[in-house]
Amino acid sequence: MIRTVLALLAGVLVSSAFAQQIPTIRLGRGFAAEEQVWLMSVRRDLTPNQGKKYELKQILFQANPERFQAFLAGELDAGTAPGLAVIFARAQGMDMKLVASVCLEAHGKDYFTTTYMVKDDGPIKSAKDLKGGTIGVVGIKTATDLWARAGLINAGLVPDKDTKVVPMAFPAIGEAVRSGKVSAGTFVEPFYSSEIAKGGLRKLFTAVDAVGYDHELLDLFFGEKFLKAHPDAVRAFLADYVAITKWYLANKEQGKRDLAKAGFVRTPVEIYVKNADWKRTPDARLDVGSLKKLSTFMHEKLQWLEKPVNVDEMVDQSFLPK
Amino acid sequence: MKSIRALVPIAILLAAWEAAARSGLWSRIVFPSLEAIGREFIGFFARADAWEQIWTSLYRAFGGFTLAAVVGVLLGMIMGRSKLVADLLDPLFSGTYAVPKLALFPIFIFVFGIGSLSKVALIFLECLYPIVIMTYHGAKSVNRVWLWSAQNMGASRWQILRRVVIPSTTPYIFAGFRVAVPVAMIVVVITEMISSADGLGYLVIYSLSSLRTDRMLAVVVIIALIGYLLDKGLVLARNRLIYWEKLDTYYV
Repeated sequence: MIRTVLALLAGVLVSSAFAQQIPTIRLGRGFAAEEQVWLMSVRRDLTPNQGKKYELKQILFQANPERFQAFLAGELDAGTAPGLAVIFARAQGMDMKLVASVCLEAHGKDYFTTTYMVKDDGPIKSAKDLKGGTIGVVGIKTATDLWARAGLINAGLVPDKDTKVVPMAFPAIGEAVRSGKVSAGTFVEPFYSSEIAKGGLRKLFTAVDAVGYDHELLDLFFGEKFLKAHPDAVRAFLADYVAITKWYLANKEQGKRDLAKAGFVRTPVEIYVKNADWKRTPDARLDVGSLKKLSTFMHEKLQWLEKPVNVDEMVDQSFLPK
Repeated sequence: MKSIRALVPIAILLAAWEAAARSGLWSRIVFPSLEAIGREFIGFFARADAWEQIWTSLYRAFGGFTLAAVVGVLLGMIMGRSKLVADLLDPLFSGTYAVPKLALFPIFIFVFGIGSLSKVALIFLECLYPIVIMTYHGAKSVNRVWLWSAQNMGASRWQILRRVVIPSTTPYIFAGFRVAVPVAMIVVVITEMISSADGLGYLVIYSLSSLRTDRMLAVVVIIALIGYLLDKGLVLARNRLIYWEKLDTYYV
């Protein structure tokens, strides 16, 4: 009897010690365009390393500043964030590195790219006609703000001076454009498809048109301390991430249905599965060149950065599977 | 002596902040030093558009507040002197006082547009409540002995209003104004943070989006200073107008 109890106790101690050795990755996530990241929590069966080499805890954030504040407070080890937000963070000396790509803004009929639209029967025929008008974006110094400003600069306009750039919530933009409250607005999925279905809006330019090249939209970052402390866990996590990205690319509809069922997405499932998706690379490798171009644009054209950011130093793809 | 005493809590707060900033426990992005905030504060006034941004927020706040002051005092006085109007409007104001009017801002944007009008309209609505309610209670609680005395001395309704009701209600009106002024400043900043391309609230969100907490806090200090100066101005005006009931006498 005593032997049995001792054996059970030893078993519990060994298993708890083993469990303690598995680091938990506290990952701050967003609410759009991160399907393969969300699937890591919904379809754990597709992530063989999870539970063995790392545990994953995803925490939802509505905006980047809050996500970064949580990271600074030591409440997050990793997260998803637009490349340009991480450029801002690195400019302020935050110890984080981009380790993998989530999705890109890319040309091509198979991909969705963020689109700026105007009233179909309105006077704005090209970006030049936005002079004296207002363009709605989702937040100041976000990617949507950058593309809007890039589009205006391309048209020879001076953002803020010739055309006001105002933040507003995605769900409100369609009606704001139709009612003439703003001259043009930013549309991402699922709002884009829903507004196109309603009619009355016309494409003015896309994010890719605005900057002129395919570029990183959303990436995965890790804190440098976590990378140094748990390199094997990060490798295992990224191996699962790449595996699930490949699975998602091959089984998009199923993946989307799983996410909708798990409550990760609120869009009606039949609309959600039909929506075009952003470009995702199967190996999750980052387009570092596009990040460099964005950083230069932010520094030189928009004066968003006081000094250039060394993009090579903020990227570490060595944890990705070879 | 009194002014020095008033500085003590501020000095303690600043010292605690600086200690947190220097402790190394938190990132300088979260807790920038006072020196960094001070540098940004000075830098703000070196901006070509510094006064324009301040003015943008001020005229929105003043616009909404002034409208609320005119409508609120009028409504409050009528409610205080007419039971019928009070019975009609009191449930409406009391019942919706706690409603977070800020939640209506998206509707205001659709009705009044993204520019200043939607912000002024929301500030008006937020400021209206404390002004109406304070004025109403002031007008309702005019000392009856004064009213009877005025009537006995043959004063007309207009004379009673001008000589008794308004002077008696003015302290309440100013109490409502003192509640409404900071509300106007808070609402203008929040609405500019939500949807604006100019103003101090826009600068707050702009700085925050670049993770420049020092710059953001410098703007917050400017907003606090404006709020403080407005309140001081209001107290000064109140003490001049209601010379028989200075605020300081409360503490004697």
